[in-house]
Amino acid sequence: MEALDLLKKDWQKQENTFEQVSEASIYGMLHKKSSSIVKWILIISLIELGLGVVLSFFSFDSDLLKKFESFEYFGYIKVLTAFNYAVILFFVYQFYINYKKISTTTSTRKLMDDIISTRKTVKYYIWFNLVMVAVSTLFGVVYAVNLNPKFDSIAMNPKNVVVFGLICTLIIVGFVVVFWLIYRLIYGRLLRKLFVNYKELKKIDL
Amino acid sequence: MSENLEQSFVQQLRENQNIIHKICRLYTADSDAHKDLFQEITIQLWKAFPKFRGDSKFSTWAYRVALNTAITLYRKSTRTVQTVDYEKHSFFISQEDYNTDEEERIKLMYKAVHQLNDIEKALVFMYLEDKDYTEIAETLGISEVNARVKMNRIKGKLKKILNP
Repeated sequence: MEALDLLKKDWQKQENTFEQVSEASIYGMLHKKSSSIVKWILIISLIELGLGVVLSFFSFDSDLLKKFESFEYFGYIKVLTAFNYAVILFFVYQFYINYKKISTTTSTRKLMDDIISTRKTVKYYIWFNLVMVAVSTLFGVVYAVNLNPKFDSIAMNPKNVVVFGLICTLIIVGFVVVFWLIYRLIYGRLLRKLFVNYKELKKIDL
Repeated sequence: MSENLEQSFVQQLRENQNIIHKICRLYTADSDAHKDLFQEITIQLWKAFPKFRGDSKFSTWAYRVALNTAITLYRKSTRTVQTVDYEKHSFFISQEDYNTDEEERIKLMYKAVHQLNDIEKALVFMYLEDKDYTEIAETLGISEVNARVKMNRIKGKLKKILNP
């Protein structure tokens, strides 16, 4: 195209029009903080990973576990606790590996892929924690029913079963909606540009 | 050692800073955003510098990091690119506007390029920098054939913007 080649001729000429940055200013910039999305992803992800650990302390703390010792499903709880920590460790490791892969010297496509897979690790981690919260709530309910026959008779009333079921469902749905909204808000803002460009890049290679 | 590294980096960056300025001009719409993106690219280049082995030219290496920063890592550009002004100007080009002198056409071309999306800008940038399609494809992570096809489409798109 003629016009683009016209622009090409002019393109190199513009070099003289840039205000040159001095070495002193460049030195100054090296010590400034980055505001890249990767930095924000790291900060938010570390908060999320930490949140999962706090949540599991909350669901599986040792004082609470002692109370469960007489409970007939105690064996399952111990297995579940061990499983929970093993999975958390796996996620943290996976996050570290993926995060380390992010490099600005690879191709744009690869860089985007790596950022997205780092994000996915943390996303799956949060979903895992939500499932664990639901499972431990279930154990709590079963424990309460086992421990307290009165609760059993109240809960077994068909009308109460419906109400109880509804409340439990509402709580879980509430949790999911809140997390979903947080995700939309934080990552929607942070990653909108990345996803738009990623889609555009994928379209080229279709 | 690290002081030497810093000195060598700063010197090479100063000598090659026009690459970054050109990318900033393409991806931002005002001088504040230009400075902001320049700084972010400098930080990203510095972070990646310890792994720069010198088997390619500093400028070639810097192209990739700078483009990746502008397209993927930089957070504020969605706010600054594609301002209403550019659209207003190029959507209402009258017949005599683009048939006048060369300078006017170049101006219009710059405005049209600003209307492209981030990926298209990257392709145009490398085309203007005389990069071959092998390098363009490698930098973006797409196939060479598709890079050519896309470039032809962009040329068509620019033509359309100029002659609506």
